[in-house]
Amino acid sequence: MPRSVWKGPFVDGFLLNKAEAARASTRNEIIKIWSRRSTILPQFVGLTFGVYNGKKFIPVQVSENMVGHKFGEFSPTRTFTGHSSDKKAKRG
Amino acid sequence: MARIAGVNIPTNKRVQISLRYIYGIGPKNAVEICEKLGIPDDRRVNQLTDEEVLRIRELIDREYRVEGDLRREVAMNIKRLMDMACYRGLRHRRGLPVRGQRTHTNARTRKGKAVAIAGKKKVTK
Repeated sequence: MPRSVWKGPFVDGFLLNKAEAARASTRNEIIKIWSRRSTILPQFVGLTFGVYNGKKFIPVQVSENMVGHKFGEFSPTRTFTGHSSDKKAKRG
Repeated sequence: MARIAGVNIPTNKRVQISLRYIYGIGPKNAVEICEKLGIPDDRRVNQLTDEEVLRIRELIDREYRVEGDLRREVAMNIKRLMDMACYRGLRHRRGLPVRGQRTHTNARTRKGKAVAIAGKKKVTK
Protein backbone atom coordinates (compact mmCIF):
# COMPACT_ATOMS: atom_id res chain seq x y z
CA MET A 1 0.00 0.00 0.00
CA PRO A 2 1.41 3.42 -0.88
CA ARG A 3 2.13 6.10 1.64
CA SER A 4 -0.66 8.56 2.44
CA VAL A 5 -0.41 11.68 0.34
CA TRP A 6 -1.17 14.02 3.20
CA LYS A 7 2.06 13.04 4.90
CA GLY A 8 4.14 14.22 1.98
CA PRO A 9 7.26 12.43 0.79
CA PHE A 10 9.60 11.05 3.41
CA VAL A 11 13.03 12.67 3.42
CA ASP A 12 15.61 12.85 6.15
CA GLY A 13 15.87 16.57 6.88
CA PHE A 14 19.62 16.85 6.81
CA LEU A 15 19.65 15.83 3.15
CA LEU A 16 17.98 19.09 2.22
CA ASN A 17 20.77 21.06 3.85
CA LYS A 18 23.42 18.90 2.21
CA ALA A 19 21.84 19.30 -1.19
CA GLU A 20 21.57 23.03 -0.79
CA ALA A 21 25.19 23.30 0.27
CA ALA A 22 26.21 21.27 -2.76
CA ARG A 23 24.20 23.53 -5.02
CA ALA A 24 25.86 26.59 -3.50
CA SER A 25 29.40 25.28 -3.90
CA THR A 26 29.42 24.91 -7.65
CA ARG A 27 32.04 22.15 -7.55
CA ASN A 28 30.45 18.89 -8.56
CA GLU A 29 31.21 16.86 -5.53
CA ILE A 30 29.67 13.56 -4.57
CA ILE A 31 27.42 13.94 -1.56
CA LYS A 32 27.90 10.92 0.65
CA ILE A 33 24.68 9.77 2.22
CA TRP A 34 23.59 6.83 4.31
CA SER A 35 19.92 7.66 4.15
CA ARG A 36 18.79 5.06 1.64
CA ARG A 37 15.23 5.40 2.88
CA SER A 38 14.77 8.98 1.71
CA THR A 39 12.67 9.83 -1.29
CA ILE A 40 14.37 11.58 -4.17
CA LEU A 41 12.92 15.06 -4.48
CA PRO A 42 12.80 17.30 -7.56
CA GLN A 43 15.37 19.64 -6.01
CA PHE A 44 17.95 16.83 -6.02
CA VAL A 45 17.90 16.49 -9.81
CA GLY A 46 21.31 16.98 -11.38
CA LEU A 47 23.27 16.34 -8.21
CA THR A 48 25.40 13.28 -7.66
CA PHE A 49 25.00 11.32 -4.47
CA GLY A 50 27.12 8.56 -3.09
CA VAL A 51 24.58 6.18 -1.67
CA TYR A 52 26.00 3.79 0.91
CA ASN A 53 25.22 0.14 0.31
CA GLY A 54 26.76 -1.17 3.51
CA LYS A 55 30.23 -1.31 2.05
CA LYS A 56 30.77 1.35 -0.57
CA PHE A 57 29.27 4.62 -1.72
CA ILE A 58 27.62 4.00 -5.07
CA PRO A 59 27.57 7.16 -7.17
CA VAL A 60 24.07 8.00 -8.29
CA GLN A 61 23.50 10.81 -10.76
CA VAL A 62 19.97 11.90 -10.09
CA SER A 63 17.87 12.34 -13.22
CA GLU A 64 14.30 13.50 -13.58
CA ASN A 65 13.01 9.95 -13.93
CA MET A 66 14.25 9.07 -10.48
CA VAL A 67 12.10 11.56 -8.65
CA GLY A 68 9.73 9.73 -6.36
CA HIS A 69 11.95 6.69 -5.92
CA LYS A 70 14.13 6.07 -2.90
CA PHE A 71 17.89 6.42 -2.85
CA GLY A 72 18.32 2.83 -1.77
CA GLU A 73 16.81 1.57 -4.99
CA PHE A 74 19.85 2.73 -6.90
CA SER A 75 22.48 1.20 -4.71
CA PRO A 76 22.26 -2.60 -4.67
CA THR A 77 23.25 -4.22 -1.40
CA ARG A 78 23.83 -7.73 -2.65
CA THR A 79 26.38 -9.16 -5.01
CA PHE A 80 25.57 -12.21 -7.03
CA THR A 81 28.45 -13.40 -9.13
CA GLY A 82 26.63 -16.35 -10.65
CA HIS A 83 26.86 -20.08 -10.20
CA SER A 84 29.98 -21.94 -11.21
CA SER A 85 29.37 -23.99 -14.30
CA ASP A 86 32.44 -26.27 -14.29
CA LYS A 87 31.15 -28.77 -11.75
CA LYS A 88 30.94 -31.61 -14.25
CA ALA A 89 34.46 -31.07 -15.49
CA LYS A 90 35.80 -31.32 -11.95
CA ARG A 91 34.03 -34.61 -11.23
CA GLY A 92 34.94 -36.32 -14.49
CA MET B 1 -18.70 -10.91 -36.07
CA ALA B 2 -17.91 -7.65 -34.42
CA ARG B 3 -14.60 -5.91 -34.69
CA ILE B 4 -13.92 -3.60 -31.80
CA ALA B 5 -10.67 -1.81 -31.06
CA GLY B 6 -8.66 -3.36 -33.84
CA VAL B 7 -8.33 -7.09 -34.18
CA ASN B 8 -10.72 -8.37 -31.59
CA ILE B 9 -13.58 -10.49 -32.78
CA PRO B 10 -15.53 -11.77 -29.78
CA THR B 11 -18.38 -14.00 -30.85
CA ASN B 12 -21.69 -15.21 -29.53
CA LYS B 13 -21.02 -14.58 -25.87
CA ARG B 14 -22.61 -11.95 -23.71
CA VAL B 15 -21.31 -8.46 -24.42
CA GLN B 16 -19.88 -8.08 -20.93
CA ILE B 17 -17.89 -11.26 -21.36
CA SER B 18 -16.71 -10.81 -24.89
CA LEU B 19 -15.45 -7.28 -24.33
CA ARG B 20 -12.89 -8.79 -21.98
CA TYR B 21 -11.16 -10.35 -24.94
CA ILE B 22 -9.78 -6.90 -25.62
CA TYR B 23 -6.40 -6.36 -23.96
CA GLY B 24 -6.95 -3.69 -21.33
CA ILE B 25 -10.60 -4.38 -20.67
CA GLY B 26 -11.34 -6.62 -17.72
CA PRO B 27 -14.48 -7.42 -15.78
CA LYS B 28 -14.78 -3.96 -14.28
CA ASN B 29 -14.35 -1.98 -17.49
CA ALA B 30 -16.58 -4.35 -19.44
CA VAL B 31 -19.47 -3.86 -17.02
CA GLU B 32 -18.80 -0.13 -16.95
CA ILE B 33 -19.01 0.12 -20.73
CA CYS B 34 -22.30 -1.77 -20.83
CA GLU B 35 -23.75 0.43 -18.14
CA LYS B 36 -22.69 3.63 -19.85
CA LEU B 37 -24.33 2.57 -23.10
CA GLY B 38 -27.38 1.00 -21.48
CA ILE B 39 -26.77 -2.44 -22.92
CA PRO B 40 -28.63 -5.08 -20.87
CA ASP B 41 -26.66 -7.88 -19.18
CA ASP B 42 -28.08 -10.71 -21.25
CA ARG B 43 -27.47 -9.15 -24.66
CA ARG B 44 -25.16 -11.21 -26.85
CA VAL B 45 -22.70 -9.71 -29.29
CA ASN B 46 -24.51 -11.11 -32.32
CA GLN B 47 -27.70 -9.43 -31.14
CA LEU B 48 -26.13 -5.99 -31.08
CA THR B 49 -27.29 -3.54 -33.68
CA ASP B 50 -24.70 -1.92 -35.90
CA GLU B 51 -25.33 1.34 -34.15
CA GLU B 52 -24.60 -0.18 -30.74
CA VAL B 53 -21.37 -1.70 -32.00
CA LEU B 54 -20.39 1.68 -33.31
CA ARG B 55 -21.12 3.31 -29.96
CA ILE B 56 -19.05 0.73 -28.11
CA ARG B 57 -16.19 1.30 -30.52
CA GLU B 58 -16.35 5.05 -30.09
CA LEU B 59 -16.55 4.84 -26.30
CA ILE B 60 -13.51 2.60 -26.13
CA ASP B 61 -11.59 4.81 -28.52
CA ARG B 62 -12.40 7.85 -26.47
CA GLU B 63 -12.06 6.74 -22.87
CA TYR B 64 -10.00 3.58 -22.63
CA ARG B 65 -6.42 2.71 -23.36
CA VAL B 66 -6.37 -0.69 -24.95
CA GLU B 67 -4.30 -3.10 -27.05
CA GLY B 68 -1.23 -1.60 -28.74
CA ASP B 69 -1.29 1.68 -26.87
CA LEU B 70 -1.57 -0.03 -23.52
CA ARG B 71 1.08 -2.59 -24.32
CA ARG B 72 3.40 0.19 -25.41
CA GLU B 73 2.77 2.08 -22.21
CA VAL B 74 3.56 -0.96 -20.08
CA ALA B 75 6.70 -1.66 -22.07
CA MET B 76 7.77 1.96 -21.71
CA ASN B 77 7.27 1.85 -17.96
CA ILE B 78 9.44 -1.23 -17.68
CA LYS B 79 12.04 0.31 -19.96
CA ARG B 80 12.12 3.40 -17.79
CA LEU B 81 12.88 1.27 -14.74
CA MET B 82 15.62 -0.58 -16.58
CA ASP B 83 17.24 2.59 -17.89
CA MET B 84 17.32 4.11 -14.43
CA ALA B 85 19.24 1.13 -13.10
CA CYS B 86 17.10 0.98 -10.01
CA TYR B 87 16.48 -2.25 -8.16
CA ARG B 88 13.23 -3.01 -9.92
CA GLY B 89 14.89 -2.37 -13.27
CA LEU B 90 17.70 -4.77 -12.46
CA ARG B 91 15.20 -7.46 -11.54
CA HIS B 92 13.41 -6.95 -14.84
CA ARG B 93 16.70 -7.26 -16.69
CA ARG B 94 17.57 -10.52 -15.02
CA GLY B 95 14.08 -11.91 -15.42
CA LEU B 96 13.60 -12.42 -11.71
CA PRO B 97 10.61 -11.49 -9.54
CA VAL B 98 10.42 -7.74 -9.05
CA ARG B 99 8.38 -7.41 -5.89
CA GLY B 100 10.43 -9.16 -3.28
CA GLN B 101 9.15 -12.70 -3.70
CA ARG B 102 11.35 -15.62 -2.77
CA THR B 103 13.57 -17.11 -5.42
CA HIS B 104 15.05 -19.99 -3.44
CA THR B 105 12.14 -22.02 -4.75
CA ASN B 106 9.24 -21.22 -7.04
CA ALA B 107 9.35 -17.98 -9.08
CA ARG B 108 8.91 -20.17 -12.15
CA THR B 109 6.63 -17.71 -13.91
CA ARG B 110 9.45 -15.19 -14.14
CA LYS B 111 12.35 -17.57 -14.43
CA GLY B 112 10.78 -19.85 -17.00
CA LYS B 113 10.93 -23.59 -17.01
CA ALA B 114 13.41 -25.20 -14.63
CA VAL B 115 16.77 -26.05 -16.12
CA ALA B 116 18.68 -29.03 -14.74
CA ILE B 117 22.01 -28.19 -13.20
CA ALA B 118 24.76 -30.03 -15.03
CA GLY B 119 26.75 -32.41 -12.89
CA LYS B 120 24.53 -32.24 -9.87
CA LYS B 121 24.67 -35.46 -7.86
CA LYS B 122 21.50 -37.52 -7.77
CA VAL B 123 20.33 -38.61 -4.34
CA THR B 124 20.79 -42.40 -4.38
CA LYS B 125 20.94 -45.05 -1.70
